[in-house]
Amino acid sequence: MSRKLSLKIEPRAEELDTITAAVEEFGDAEKWAPELVFRVNLVLEELGLNIINYGGTEDLHEIEITLTSEPGSLTIEIVDNGRPFDPTKDAPEPDLDSGVAERAVGGLGVYLVRTMMDELHYRRDGGRNYLTLVKELAK
Amino acid sequence: MEVHAERDGGALIAQAAGRIDGSNAREFESALRATLSKQDSALILDMQSLSYISSAGLRVILMVAKMLQRRGGKFMVCSLSESIDEVFEISGFNRIIPTHATRSEALAALGE
Repeated sequence: MSRKLSLKIEPRAEELDTITAAVEEFGDAEKWAPELVFRVNLVLEELGLNIINYGGTEDLHEIEITLTSEPGSLTIEIVDNGRPFDPTKDAPEPDLDSGVAERAVGGLGVYLVRTMMDELHYRRDGGRNYLTLVKELAK
Repeated sequence: MEVHAERDGGALIAQAAGRIDGSNAREFESALRATLSKQDSALILDMQSLSYISSAGLRVILMVAKMLQRRGGKFMVCSLSESIDEVFEISGFNRIIPTHATRSEALAALGE
């Protein structure tokens, strides 16, 4: 059996709190470990803020988020009509090897998401970005 | 998010509590800068009561690490939760910022 959480948020950073509260409630109901709640919140924050900060066009007025919890996996879908952005390809690899002085500040968000989730699938269709992320869970 | 600062054995210990995310990372940065005086040569960021950090918070931590290094000071973090430890590992921060399991281990390392 699968259970879903669907959220529609306005493209404003203040909406992060709404997402966090909804994820925590859903995670509680699904008996997720705190580490999974953390991971899902981080993924939604990093990708959500990317859309809000860089994807904005006059047409962007809504971001749709759907979580589907199933035995053995969690699927996150994010749909927006902002600028095309493919997190599987368009984000540069961060510099992980330099020391404190040389290391560039920033650029870690999408990398964290790619590393923390097992699958990322992107498509652009009808002026919208469709991103699907999957995390495999122990049954 | 709250930052509570105290001094112990010549080090400034900043204890961050709550969540550091994109909506309050700037406040976190201002709070850290406000507690750090020019005389402080060592800063330990204690994350015992920190439940969440995202890339916005990592950004501030790297800026603070750079600032301390420029002035010849030391910067360490301690008491990371399992999830925050994972974030540090993925981002490679655990290789450039000394990370200790407890505050007393961090203080002991400073004394060495």
